[in-house]
Amino acid sequence: MKKTFHNLWFLKPENYFHKLSITLKIVTLLLVCGLTLPAFSLTPGIPAADDQQQIKVSGTITDASTSEAMIGVNVQIKGTTIGAISDASGKYSLMVTDPNATLVFSFIGYVNQEIPLGGKTTIDVALASEVTGLEEVVVVGYSTQKRATVTGSVVVAKGDDLKKSPAMNISNNLIGRMPGLTAVSRSGEPGYDNATLRIRGSNTLGDNSPLVVVDGVANRDMNRLNPNDIESITILKDASAAIYGSQAANGVILVTTKRGMLGKPKISLNLSAGGTQPTVIPEMADAAQYSEMLNEIAYYKTPSLGRNQKYSEADLQQYRDGSDPWGHPNTDWFDECFKPWSSQNQMTASISGGTDNMKYFLSLGTRYQDAVYKNSATNFRQYDFRTNIDGKLSKNIDIAFDVAGREELRNYPTRSVGDSFRMLMRGKPNMPAYWPNGDPGPDIEYGDNPVVTVTDATGYDQDKRYVLNSNLRLNINIPWVQGLLLTFNGSFDKNIAFRKLWQTPWYLYTWDGNPEYITTKGKRGFDAPQLTEYMADGQRVAVNALVTYERTFAARHTVKVLAGTERRNGFSDNFNAFRKNYISTAVDQLFAGASDQYMANNGSASQNAYMSYFGRVNYDLSRKYLIEFVWRYDGSYMFPEDKRFGFFPGISAGWRISEENFWKNSLGLFNNFKIRGSWGQTGNDRIDEYQYLTTYGFVDSRTYVYGGADAKLLYETKIPNPNVTWEIANQANIGFDASMFNNKISMSFDYFNNVRSQILIQRNASIPNSTGLTLPPENIGKVKNTGFEGIITYNNQAGDLNYSISANGSYSRNEVLFWDETPGIPEYQRATGKPMPTQNWDGTFNSQLYYQAIGIFDDQGEIDGTPHWAGAIPGDVIFEDVNKDDVIDGLDRVRGEKNNLPRFIYGFTFNLGYKGFDLAILFQGATGSVQYISPESGEIGNFYKEAADNRWTPENTGSAYARTWNRDEEYWRSQGNTYWLYNMDYLRLKNFELGYTLPSSVNKSLNIEALRFYINGMNLLTFSKQKLIDPELESGTAYPLQRVVTGGITLTF
Amino acid sequence: MKKTFMILMIISVIPLFNSCTKSSEFLDKKPLGEYSETDVWSDPALVETFVNMMYRNALGWPFSIERLSDYSDESFFTPDWDVLNFNKSLMTSDGLLGWQVDWATPHTLHFRWDPLYANARRTNIFFSKINDVPGDEAVIDNLKGQAYFMRAWTYFYLTALYGGVPIITKAYTLNDEFEVARNTYEECISFIVGQIDSAALFLPDAYPTDGHVTRGAALAFKARVLLYAASDLHNSGKNGDVTSGFSNPELLGYVGGDANARWTAAKNAAKAVIDLNKYSLYKATPAPADSVAQNFVELFTSKGTNEDILLQFFTPKTDENWDGYNPGLYCGPNGYHNWGNNTPLGDLVDEYEMKDGSKFDWANLTHKANPYLNREARFYATVLYEGVQWRKRPSDALQIDPFSKIQVGYVYNPGNVMIKAGLDTRSGPIEDWNGGKTGYYLRKYVDPAVDPQYVKQDVPFKHLRYGEVLLNYAEACIELGQDAEARTYINLIRKRAGQPDLPGSLTGDALRQAYRHERRIELAFEDHRFWDVRRWLVGEIAYKQTSAVDVRYNATETSVPSYRKADGSTYGAPVFAKKDTPGDSRAWNKKIYFFPIMRDEMNKNTLLVQNPGY
Repeated sequence: MKKTFHNLWFLKPENYFHKLSITLKIVTLLLVCGLTLPAFSLTPGIPAADDQQQIKVSGTITDASTSEAMIGVNVQIKGTTIGAISDASGKYSLMVTDPNATLVFSFIGYVNQEIPLGGKTTIDVALASEVTGLEEVVVVGYSTQKRATVTGSVVVAKGDDLKKSPAMNISNNLIGRMPGLTAVSRSGEPGYDNATLRIRGSNTLGDNSPLVVVDGVANRDMNRLNPNDIESITILKDASAAIYGSQAANGVILVTTKRGMLGKPKISLNLSAGGTQPTVIPEMADAAQYSEMLNEIAYYKTPSLGRNQKYSEADLQQYRDGSDPWGHPNTDWFDECFKPWSSQNQMTASISGGTDNMKYFLSLGTRYQDAVYKNSATNFRQYDFRTNIDGKLSKNIDIAFDVAGREELRNYPTRSVGDSFRMLMRGKPNMPAYWPNGDPGPDIEYGDNPVVTVTDATGYDQDKRYVLNSNLRLNINIPWVQGLLLTFNGSFDKNIAFRKLWQTPWYLYTWDGNPEYITTKGKRGFDAPQLTEYMADGQRVAVNALVTYERTFAARHTVKVLAGTERRNGFSDNFNAFRKNYISTAVDQLFAGASDQYMANNGSASQNAYMSYFGRVNYDLSRKYLIEFVWRYDGSYMFPEDKRFGFFPGISAGWRISEENFWKNSLGLFNNFKIRGSWGQTGNDRIDEYQYLTTYGFVDSRTYVYGGADAKLLYETKIPNPNVTWEIANQANIGFDASMFNNKISMSFDYFNNVRSQILIQRNASIPNSTGLTLPPENIGKVKNTGFEGIITYNNQAGDLNYSISANGSYSRNEVLFWDETPGIPEYQRATGKPMPTQNWDGTFNSQLYYQAIGIFDDQGEIDGTPHWAGAIPGDVIFEDVNKDDVIDGLDRVRGEKNNLPRFIYGFTFNLGYKGFDLAILFQGATGSVQYISPESGEIGNFYKEAADNRWTPENTGSAYARTWNRDEEYWRSQGNTYWLYNMDYLRLKNFELGYTLPSSVNKSLNIEALRFYINGMNLLTFSKQKLIDPELESGTAYPLQRVVTGGITLTF
Repeated sequence: MKKTFMILMIISVIPLFNSCTKSSEFLDKKPLGEYSETDVWSDPALVETFVNMMYRNALGWPFSIERLSDYSDESFFTPDWDVLNFNKSLMTSDGLLGWQVDWATPHTLHFRWDPLYANARRTNIFFSKINDVPGDEAVIDNLKGQAYFMRAWTYFYLTALYGGVPIITKAYTLNDEFEVARNTYEECISFIVGQIDSAALFLPDAYPTDGHVTRGAALAFKARVLLYAASDLHNSGKNGDVTSGFSNPELLGYVGGDANARWTAAKNAAKAVIDLNKYSLYKATPAPADSVAQNFVELFTSKGTNEDILLQFFTPKTDENWDGYNPGLYCGPNGYHNWGNNTPLGDLVDEYEMKDGSKFDWANLTHKANPYLNREARFYATVLYEGVQWRKRPSDALQIDPFSKIQVGYVYNPGNVMIKAGLDTRSGPIEDWNGGKTGYYLRKYVDPAVDPQYVKQDVPFKHLRYGEVLLNYAEACIELGQDAEARTYINLIRKRAGQPDLPGSLTGDALRQAYRHERRIELAFEDHRFWDVRRWLVGEIAYKQTSAVDVRYNATETSVPSYRKADGSTYGAPVFAKKDTPGDSRAWNKKIYFFPIMRDEMNKNTLLVQNPGY
């Protein structure tokens, strides 16, 4: 019985219970140890009894952290084969002959306990989950493994840790917690705050996004899962991901949701609410400063007209002293637009429990997030539910049926966030946001006065998405072949989106300086309302069948084989319709729009299909020598018929040196030491489909007009590449896992060397443009990415205080090995041998060529004596004459050494528990990235305060900052150069959570199981060299990241 | 029982996966948003949409936010976008500066090597496939005619920009040899003319809907090509200053040959259009009751007249990006919530004659006192200026200016302090930073009937019109010494414009200058001046510090409530003065007569020879 159980543990639905328990219990583990261990040491010795006498020993086994009964715990008399298993209520009993025998209590994922009977006949035991996690079950592709025998490079985050953040988006909770994960948040906008996740940095010039697998189903969206539903997140970083074949090259993120566990229904409520505010609000020049700078713009153009061409000294004085709020306002646009705090809240209720035949986890949740604006039209709301059910159809057949769904509601104003933030940055401090009489002030252009366009005064943009995820799984145990199991999975996912964009005219007010202070109202944006509706309907179906065979031979040779086949297909349809010239704003439906020439509609569709054969073979000898082979044979619709399939193998091995006697004898301070290595080839199929076909397509939305009629435009969509295939990643990894001093210190370290070849890039650089070819990407690019990552954790206890400190860091540096270089360009412009440039918005990479800014011209003499751009004047940026030819031209541009993704990313976590209190802190930082921050300033908009305060002027010479500029008129504005390149290194207090759990004595009187109060926060402190924008953002016009503070309670009963 | 159940389960699962083994079927998908090559080249209706794309790319975006007029001495581009650096002749083989703004869609974006060759490829694909397309021969011939025209148009602009370029007529595939040398200028012109002749052979005289190229368009275009080719810039007898020291002058123009023969060819080509007797000047002889200015406004806001040979249409429905097509919004005054771009330069405005045919002159105090009085009709149809009545202001501006008259001036008090800025200035209360810097706004091609804040107009752009053909003819006559013939044709243009005939005494270089003046005025903002100043070798004249107008009112009050008094009168008479356009100090470098081939392209194709000066 035991053996069978053991062999199949990883596929038994009940065993999800075990994993869950680990998670739930790990937090309180140290406390338990503190309580139980001293108690045993006080147990007095009892004299030996008669050998022949059979004594019945019984007791109850509970989980140390939850006090719940534990089923299936193995109880054995030490040194014998006599044993028992605990039942559904955690009770066990067995007969012993030796009253001084020792009982060994063992359970996967828990610390074994050995308890001498000492004459007692009732032994109740509280088992604590394993600190080192050696016995912990790790989710890997299509299966699970024990931590101790994992040979790949795998990192796991617990759902309970991820929960300790008020982030509304799971992806933001991963930053800084998982070595090997490079994650950056590029926007804090409610509903659009997905972090950019990169496993081991960037590996390809193409798409670097990892594969996300949620509950075994690939390409589901994890970002919007309810964090309370998440059991664990595993990242497969190396070739162990090869079981995902052509999707695995960028790493795989496996998300596992919680499942029901044996026991009475447990109801849990988690409520929290709090406030958010931007981490960094750009500091801009004030009205007086800005007006002076406008004067300087005019002055630099026509010095003969002096320094007050636009504003007189009297004007400047009024801007300074604020004496004339109508004529000389001083507006802080961010202040006018943002409120000090915005709200967010979440509620989750879950019920879980189960009997032998049926276990369930049900949850309902809602979350809401407001935006930073005053009178905000932007917010995000989500409703979600999950039903994970495990049942037993018969002795040998288990079934699991999961359904999860959510509604994501995004509300926005009709002007995009980019527009609004662009206008905030451009907002002129000497223009009013509101007139002193309360009317909204004029626009910058196009009706864009951000204090109005962030509200619902311009209509609304409502985006509703419905997501339904479902799986059905059958586990069929083949009783006549020991260790053979069949599993059948089917999943059906549906995504429906409906967006309604209702754009109405809005009104702004102008004042022409009349002494009565009468403002006049102007209609902006649209003459009449207009409506666009978008509908999209997509679905994905994935089915797979797995055969698993696991058996241990001769007590030493354990073999586990998994083989499976999978097919996936999906389609999506979209449709949209537009009408304008609504007579009234009263009804916002399509029928009410004018039936005129402007009515329009459009639609399209896409489809895909994949099929795969895959498997894994594990062999271990005495759990000491471990070897694993995984493979996948993947077929994809993207390729021509004879080139559809590709084979992706991965091999890994481990050696648990700490199990060797020589090690045990000499290096006893190490409880565990495992060396692992892996190599594999995986693919990246995130490439454009049908590249082998010559196709023609209609140009979107643009037409050519004959007479008054629009005519369609057909163009050669692509020139075919008949040889197109997957990108191939050669991934090598070597690392070790260790724990020391009775698991007080545990660590893990990995070094990797990835070479991505066959990257699809265009041969643009060497094929002349006179061919007119828009080249297809060809599998010619090659990139190397090497780095290391590690984590070290120390945990201990001192009296009632238990604590753990952990540090992790990940470094990756990539280098282009092959790139289609233009012949004849100088070495310092070549991409080969340099880190991958960041892909530009237009798909080109050449933005990374910069002139080298080496200072500011102070006077005409300096200009005359230095090679310079024609027309340079004092205060302009000096470009370095890199090739020393005394001319500043394109040959003086140098390819940058850094891109906008950090090279080193690190985190420190501190977890403390003291009596009922718990504290979790995450500091996180990153180094090695740069951003080109180039604001629209001058007559078009405001300047950063830093640039204004320090600017070069004829009076302030010797400054490191350039003179006042106007838009892109200056050569050092229009030509990419390092003056605008900022180091984005940062360190921040990413998460903080302080909780207090009521003592169990109080719980009993309240008739509840547990009650915990907590406050938590995100992005609370930020340290960054660059002060203009949040260091994770890419530009000043992105929605800022949020500092969040919430308080909440978790109630379990 | 249980066993049976289980076996059934297994049996039910297995077939599901057996079916997968037919992978070819399961994985066989087709793109749902595209047509296959076979679909396209077996259906003339789809081929026609492919030809439409040639129009789109060859004819470009003439009404885009940045106009070709901004790159010569016609207008000033207020947002700059590096255009000033272009106009300072700072262009190098590393950057075309404001010519290649790539985040917007300016007209100039497709007057470059890459997009022109991409368009050439479209025509090359077409000719490699068209002979196998089944269908009515007339339909196919018609498509061929259009493609020949577009290929000629494409190569014409390549030669206008670069001189001789590689003539490529094959549709390359990935494994071809790509390096190719430049053809001589002469070879290019012969090729272009050959393509036009083929086009003329296949094209019909008319289509049911306007906007297609016709036989007339081919002939008119041929006249332009031959005129350009005959011009000084491409004549080794004249262009020595540009080509001196250059190893391959044959790339930039004719080396030797008979210049007169070239002018004769140009003349004959223009005459061929005239002799079609298909086209005529719109309202060639203004009726006594006509407002000549109004005739001109109509010509440029109508959907086509008997004068038009090739029009590019737009519809308000055409869904373009913000930068695509909305001349009213782009050019209009900021006091109308418009963007104040492409503002006419004082240099151009001052060129407009007085109604009696005399020159305008700032030194003439009568002229200076009111520069906008008694100017020729085309001035009023082309330029918005201080005090002119324009379309009704938008609601907020209307309360400030109930008269809807252009306000580009400033009111000063007796202490010489500016106390009120006009609505359409860069200190006005509405979007001041969008205000123009020259004191003028563009009226030509702008339809005052629509409010461009909300609605796009549907005025077509004139790529070829009969007026140009007459001028081309006159220019060839002048260069051939046929002054009387030239005057006759110039006078057709002047008569329609309500201007007196050129005196018979005007001959030789004086006539040439009068002609150039006439062409500049008549064809202003029609994308000619940029090329004309080059082919005439007069870059130094066109690229210099530009001028604007200063308009001020000297009020007797210390402060005034509004720009005009309640009765619409002004605070004193306006005082006009010519001034430099702030910051717009342009400069000419002779290398700019030809564009550089980009450094990367030179590196990729080692057979190329760079133009002189780069």
